[in-house]
Amino acid sequence: MSTDTESSYADGFGQVSRTAGTVFRYLLLGATMFGIVTLAVLLVYVANDAIRPLTADLGWHLTFFLTLVVPTAVVGGYLARRNVPALKLGGMVIGMLGVFLLFSGGVAIVFVDIVPPLTGLSYVVGLLVPAALTVVLTKYEQQIPFTLRVAATGAAFILSLVGVPGYFHSIPEIVRQLPVVPADWMILTLVLGGVAAVVVGQYVARIREDTTAGLAAGASALVLTGLAAVVGPTLGVDANAAAVVTSVAFVPTLAYAGGAAVTREQERIGLLLAAVVIGGSLVGAVAVDALGFAGPQSWVDWQFLTSAHSGTAENAGLYPAIGGSILLMATVAALSFPLGVGAAVYLEEYAPDNAFTRFIDVNISNLAGVPSVVYGLLGLGVFVTYLGQPTGTVLIGGATLALLILPIVIISSREAIRAVPSDMRQASYGMGATRWQTVKNVVLPEAFPGILTGTILALGRAIGETAPLIMIGAPNVLFSLPTELTSKVSAMPLQVYAWSSLFASEDFYTKAVPAGVVVLLAVLLAMNSIAIVLRNKFESEN
Amino acid sequence: MSTDDLETDLTRNTENSPRELLTRSFFFLCAALSVVTTLSIVGLLITEASKFFTLTAPLMGVAGETASIVDFLTGTTWQIHSQEFGVLALVSATLMVTIGSAVIALPLGVATAIYLSEYASAQARSILKPALEILAGVPTVVYGFFALIYITPALEVVFPGIGTFNMLSASIVVGIMIIPMVASISEDAMSAVPDELRQAGYGMGATKFDVSTGIVVPAALSGIFSSFILALSRAIGETMAVTVAAGAQAKFLNPLNPASYLEGALPMTAAMVQLLTGDITGGGLAYRSLFAIGLVLFVITLIMNVISDYVSRRYREAY
Repeated sequence: MSTDTESSYADGFGQVSRTAGTVFRYLLLGATMFGIVTLAVLLVYVANDAIRPLTADLGWHLTFFLTLVVPTAVVGGYLARRNVPALKLGGMVIGMLGVFLLFSGGVAIVFVDIVPPLTGLSYVVGLLVPAALTVVLTKYEQQIPFTLRVAATGAAFILSLVGVPGYFHSIPEIVRQLPVVPADWMILTLVLGGVAAVVVGQYVARIREDTTAGLAAGASALVLTGLAAVVGPTLGVDANAAAVVTSVAFVPTLAYAGGAAVTREQERIGLLLAAVVIGGSLVGAVAVDALGFAGPQSWVDWQFLTSAHSGTAENAGLYPAIGGSILLMATVAALSFPLGVGAAVYLEEYAPDNAFTRFIDVNISNLAGVPSVVYGLLGLGVFVTYLGQPTGTVLIGGATLALLILPIVIISSREAIRAVPSDMRQASYGMGATRWQTVKNVVLPEAFPGILTGTILALGRAIGETAPLIMIGAPNVLFSLPTELTSKVSAMPLQVYAWSSLFASEDFYTKAVPAGVVVLLAVLLAMNSIAIVLRNKFESEN
Repeated sequence: MSTDDLETDLTRNTENSPRELLTRSFFFLCAALSVVTTLSIVGLLITEASKFFTLTAPLMGVAGETASIVDFLTGTTWQIHSQEFGVLALVSATLMVTIGSAVIALPLGVATAIYLSEYASAQARSILKPALEILAGVPTVVYGFFALIYITPALEVVFPGIGTFNMLSASIVVGIMIIPMVASISEDAMSAVPDELRQAGYGMGATKFDVSTGIVVPAALSGIFSSFILALSRAIGETMAVTVAAGAQAKFLNPLNPASYLEGALPMTAAMVQLLTGDITGGGLAYRSLFAIGLVLFVITLIMNVISDYVSRRYREAY
């Protein structure tokens, strides 16, 4: 604020210039938009380099314009003017299908290529048996002392998964040695279709408030998955892929769309938008094929997604890095979620107000500010040098990244836990519940969506991290998928770094790197959109 | 609880029952892990770095090559092959990225915060805030690639003499990356300014411009300042963008001379990555120099975080 303005108050009382305010306002808006617009321009450039839409025939563009863009614009425009909630529903269904299709690719990598389906099944059975025992034990909660129950559950899991060497095999081993082994697609249908059936069944039972409907929905989900695996090969689709894509992407989307069609009468017209988009894409694809128009010669193609690094940019692919990123994410999530939530619960629900608690508090916010490269040094020094682990494995990488995002998980989980109204805790204590019972039955279920959102966002940070992986000695080039926790791991950002600095050449700069960047950003976008949908749902419920 | 012996259930002391003890200790251990992490970082950096210096290596029982601590802290040449470890060459490059990104991010970030907290409608805010979050969510290696492939050629039009690797493009992307951090923390501080102050300003006949610059910004100054320090500490620790875009050759440049931003240099974080992508074996002098740089980096960022925390606590206007 300058002295000019102040003196003008005295001189011309009541006279206010609008110019300064208007200029200021647009300056602020310009500043706000600067970063966003710059990034948008850069993204357009990189997408253009990676997907190369201009290499397609004019006919290809025209066909899709007529079959996809025009109908979508018409239906979307109508809905935007008449029924915005329906538009949101339609967008949600389309987004859900896109995101789930992406994830079904990841699931296929994990359950077909990394873990052979039979091994996967053996571990599922090995976990289900002791889990069933735990459920039975919980029924007799009052008769058996707590310590005995915990010991029995722990022993059951260990016996089932490890067995007693020399006396009897672990359950996974027994399953693997079965004389008659079902085909891979049957196992996938059983396991993934089974999970989809349970989820869909519970969802339908909840929204219809009808257990029979839930059972029917679950059964049809399972049948649909099996059907896809059987029919798939006749249409030229691999049976395993058909089973995975159906159970992970199609069945949940169908269930959501179907549920919305039945329960939300005002908005179900929005499903028309989803139908137009999906139908338009299919019709366009068939028409382009029939008319012989060539599509864009994108660098992000099937070959790029399914092959390993190569000396030439045209043949280079991201496959081992994608698999590595998935395994790293699984490890990071498994480590950071319980530890982060546990720390948050302690600090919010248990911690006495003393110096040590305050120290932990300050310490966590400082840890959040430590550069990622220093966490890499921590991984290198502690895990590799002092604990003698081999460099660059999935386990080391996952543990280092987990430590890196732990402060973020803790901070966001604490916010979610703090948002639980204290009346609910008091009510629980008033009913005679102990602290742990209150945490388990009231605080955690209530805070869960917020915790989940924070964890997904933190995982999004971890998936883009490169420096810690370099520090722990992850290889720059990896030609095969990591299959175990102790195999060497690469990751998508690491591969992008290797291409853009170690294999620096015009060829890699214009082909492989933009393609890698687009895939990495697509995965990040999918994860963040899930987190944002969860957050919006959570906020609208409160 | 069985209803049969309600009496005993009601008077039961559950505070230290096995279940409560077990769960409470688990949660405590989770929280204590963060302290263990900090102690490990500090302990590791100090022990490994002290094996690097001539002064402290005998204390650690390390024989063999060492480097002088004075040369490390005052030398301006970083040449691993000729055993010259002058960290100032790296610090100067880090300082350049910090200054360069600050020139971009601080004014833009504060302007963004003022716009979001004072001018934007609720609907505009609900679109702009997630869009800004995206800026911070893009992986840093991607920013580095953008700087190298798209921004440097664009800058070449304006500055024909610019190198393939240069500090300017690296500073620009790091600046864009930290805008959301400045904006969100400053906006929190501005939103915390009570409405009465604004209303009082309007009551005196002030315009929205007067209220924003004369009342809200001064009242939120401690929060704005702490957002600056946090964002700059993030810029100092930023690794991949500078590794890809800033260069691979360590060089001592004057951070205050604008012309030097057209050259490439090697910031501390990039030097650490470079040390590990080269083939150094565990235990060598180059390997230990990694921890010495790490210690310098950790100390700088820690001091900045502590200052930021102190400023936001000490100078916060209490309403």
